[in-house]
Amino acid sequence: MALQILIVDDSPAMRSFIRRVVRLSGIEVDRYFEAANGAEALEQLAANPIDAVLTDINMPVMDGEEFVRRMRDNGPTQSTPVIVISTDATIHRIHTMQELGAMGYLQKPFGPEQLRNELDRVLGVHHE
Amino acid sequence: MNDEVDALLGALLFSCCEHVLETMFFAPVLDIADWAASAGCARVASRLHFQGRPSGDFEVDTDPGVARALAAGFLGIDESEVTSAQEDEVMGEFCNMTCGSALSSLGQVEYFNLGVAEITRPQGFAPRVEGVRRAFLLEGGTLSVCLRVDFDRS
Repeated sequence: MALQILIVDDSPAMRSFIRRVVRLSGIEVDRYFEAANGAEALEQLAANPIDAVLTDINMPVMDGEEFVRRMRDNGPTQSTPVIVISTDATIHRIHTMQELGAMGYLQKPFGPEQLRNELDRVLGVHHE
Repeated sequence: MNDEVDALLGALLFSCCEHVLETMFFAPVLDIADWAASAGCARVASRLHFQGRPSGDFEVDTDPGVARALAAGFLGIDESEVTSAQEDEVMGEFCNMTCGSALSSLGQVEYFNLGVAEITRPQGFAPRVEGVRRAFLLEGGTLSVCLRVDFDRS
């Protein structure tokens, strides 16, 4: 099944890198959506059928914590899988994001294999 | 900080920086380099302050040619297509990632918030962060990183 993926990061360079890593991972993507902060991401989620969200935490306007909190408070997006992509892999931060409803966590630096494994895990994809 | 802590921090910084360079920038480390040799030279520098438990500062400086090559590697485009704005953005990302990776690997870090990286292009570089510094030889020049962690002020 080809996915519709939403990438949320305030850095255009990082969004471009993530797209490239997704491509290199071999994951079939039908369409990429992008947002520079949580507020833009909520608009994208309201307007498009998104299969999975890859989000940064530190962003202007609305950060990743508030974004995930609002996603989980909103019926239609409550169960959309969210993977956090961050440099911060302290236990404190991972716990906070998991409590808010993030289903996956990827620490930068990461490569195609780690991204694929995490996406497969949160989407419940099993390989023979 | 005592010598033992400095040595541990240096090893961690070296390992995290090498991992970031190879995984995200497709830039293999060729050798270690002498960080002092870049003083007074034209460099692209990036600095950020982090707050938390503990707080501190992080600094990166590199040859302009290496900054361009890193941006090209990160963006997956030819070096001739890289703009100055993209170079600055990617240097900021490198600073953010390497610092975050090192702090996350330090057992004594409870939490941290990274500030926005400031990019400068001094013609005569002078380090502004005093801490544990490590330098790398990459294709086209050198890159050095410096981490100061204020354990005592936490």
